[in-house]
Amino acid sequence: MERTATFKKDQFEQFFCLLKSFGKVFAPVRVSEKSFSFKSIESPSQIAFEALRTILPPKKFFFQQHEPILSYDENGIHEVKPETQQQVIFGVHPCDLAGLGIMDKVYTASPPDPHYIARRQATMLVGLSCMPDKHCFCKSMGTDSPTSDYDLFLTDIGDKYFVQIHSANGLNLIESMPDFFSRPEAQEDQTFKDFWTTRDKAFSSHFESENLPAIMDMEWNSQVWDDLGNRCLSCGNCTPVCPTCYCFDMVDVASLHANRGERVREWDSCQFVGFAKVAGDTNFRPGPVDRLKFWYRHKLHGFEDPHGLPTCVGCGRCTESCPAGIDDIVNVVLRLQGKPSILVTDKKKTQAGGCGTSCGDCQCDTADGDQHA
Amino acid sequence: MVTASAIPQMVINMHNHTPCQSPFLPNQAKLRSITPMSQDNYLFEFLLDKPEEFSSCMPGQFVQLWLPGVGESPISVCSGRTDGTLELCVRKAGRVTGALFNLTEGDWVGLRGPYGIGFPIDDYLGKDIVLIAGGLGIAPIRSLWQYLLDRREDFGKIVLIYGMRHSQQLLFRQELKLLLRRSDMRVYIAAEEVIGPDLPTVSWQLGRVTDMIKQAEIDPGFVAAICGPPVMYKYVVEELKQKGLSPSQIWLSIERHMKCAVGKCGHCFVGGTFTCRDGPVFRMDSLRFLPEVIEC
Repeated sequence: MERTATFKKDQFEQFFCLLKSFGKVFAPVRVSEKSFSFKSIESPSQIAFEALRTILPPKKFFFQQHEPILSYDENGIHEVKPETQQQVIFGVHPCDLAGLGIMDKVYTASPPDPHYIARRQATMLVGLSCMPDKHCFCKSMGTDSPTSDYDLFLTDIGDKYFVQIHSANGLNLIESMPDFFSRPEAQEDQTFKDFWTTRDKAFSSHFESENLPAIMDMEWNSQVWDDLGNRCLSCGNCTPVCPTCYCFDMVDVASLHANRGERVREWDSCQFVGFAKVAGDTNFRPGPVDRLKFWYRHKLHGFEDPHGLPTCVGCGRCTESCPAGIDDIVNVVLRLQGKPSILVTDKKKTQAGGCGTSCGDCQCDTADGDQHA
Repeated sequence: MVTASAIPQMVINMHNHTPCQSPFLPNQAKLRSITPMSQDNYLFEFLLDKPEEFSSCMPGQFVQLWLPGVGESPISVCSGRTDGTLELCVRKAGRVTGALFNLTEGDWVGLRGPYGIGFPIDDYLGKDIVLIAGGLGIAPIRSLWQYLLDRREDFGKIVLIYGMRHSQQLLFRQELKLLLRRSDMRVYIAAEEVIGPDLPTVSWQLGRVTDMIKQAEIDPGFVAAICGPPVMYKYVVEELKQKGLSPSQIWLSIERHMKCAVGKCGHCFVGGTFTCRDGPVFRMDSLRFLPEVIEC
């Protein structure tokens, strides 16, 4: 199902009311000078339309950071039913939609996860077009156009939004206010196409992804992993910010009343030292090199992985949030492929006291391409 | 729209799914008996609330044992017959197993499973089999020998090789004594060191599992089922290769810490597969292209 419509930007207030008629609206909100977060909003003025990447991806709405799965008491074990509410997630960019597509695949695969599915079914996803910055490489991963099971997608075409309608829910919503939307005129179609052509040319970070699985296999013992892994702090920042990191732990939280408690699912990170530990203190990935290599392989390998997909969508969150500057996926892939690195040039040259990486926090981008990777 | 779609993304329609039960919901099981086997290893027998869910359990599969308020742990099924009860041989090693040792008969726990793919009984039909266990690896191997001996005429020769670090860690002493008396199977038991006041009452030798493999009559036509500590595999596989076995005749049970057991949580992810779903028993040649499984 793919239909199109347009509406005027200055009438966004009405569109917002339409979204509110479906459920609670969440959208990117500026939370500090440089960062954005999906938050519940009451008025369109709160929306940060310029937000490129939020701190956490929209997976947090469906696969929650902390979620009771079971409870127990004197009467036995009980399943905790997911609490759902009708909600709209507004302003989801194509990379995050692709990320949700991968999460959908993981959590609907047998056995399906009732908590994820219930939340996902109660949600309307409204996408929004964006212009890539230096960290974006969704084009390389093939996730630069809206994919997955979204409802509406808005493309900014000047004084109007061009709306792609992708689901029955989305269509119902549009049809509930027929006078508000108009059919796109030929000129608007052209502007829409021009936008995506311009956007396609705007990517400064790019690599060829066709040979990624083979490259990841043949470079398993590469020196690259030692170079990067030895700088890894094992902080685990790269995993919660990733739209497709789905690993979790299950922990028991007992109440003070000893006979009662809950079994809770919590986000976990493969970068933590205990992740691959088994009984007897054997650790299958004892060092940061092993763990970082594992993460990279999971993100980029693809074919052989259980869900048949590479799980990187090119959002650039890990690159931006890594304090050691080693999650620069684009440059790591280029280095593995034996190609020259891309330099991020819009920052000051290395200053004494900087960390010597491209962490983005201490203004110390190196001029040396190799170190940069 | 001009976009480069390098990798096709399959789209899941989320509205096609109907409500389902949580895959993490365990069944209640009552602790029926506790048998100390060595200092830190007890055999726990559980009376199942829903025996039908475990009736299809095959040797090599595992269950998730849940102690409310403490946590969950993957444990290999230790009994070859699961008709209403289930036996688990557990070493006191961590938080969950430590708490299990504090339980008494009549206490209840949560059990869900069985999970994973066990030893390929169909592939073993009519063949000569060598079972190799190191340490606590005897637990899943025991379920396999019980299963094989219950259907003895369906299989060829059976050789059991069991090695341990210290002689006092010998498990299933009484059962092994009976096995040693059987004329339709050969049993080799080895310990690397003698510790403790008395020698075990079964005939055993000083040495390693690999020494026993050298001694045993194993032809190139045998199939092998192995379970032991991760460090053991490399040496055992090398020894079996010396005996003429090819990787396609060797099955290994891989150890990982499964947290969800349903192929989601990522803890047992190795190479390109989930150990909980595609394993824990793998045929040796299928591991060849998986990095970081075992060193061999």
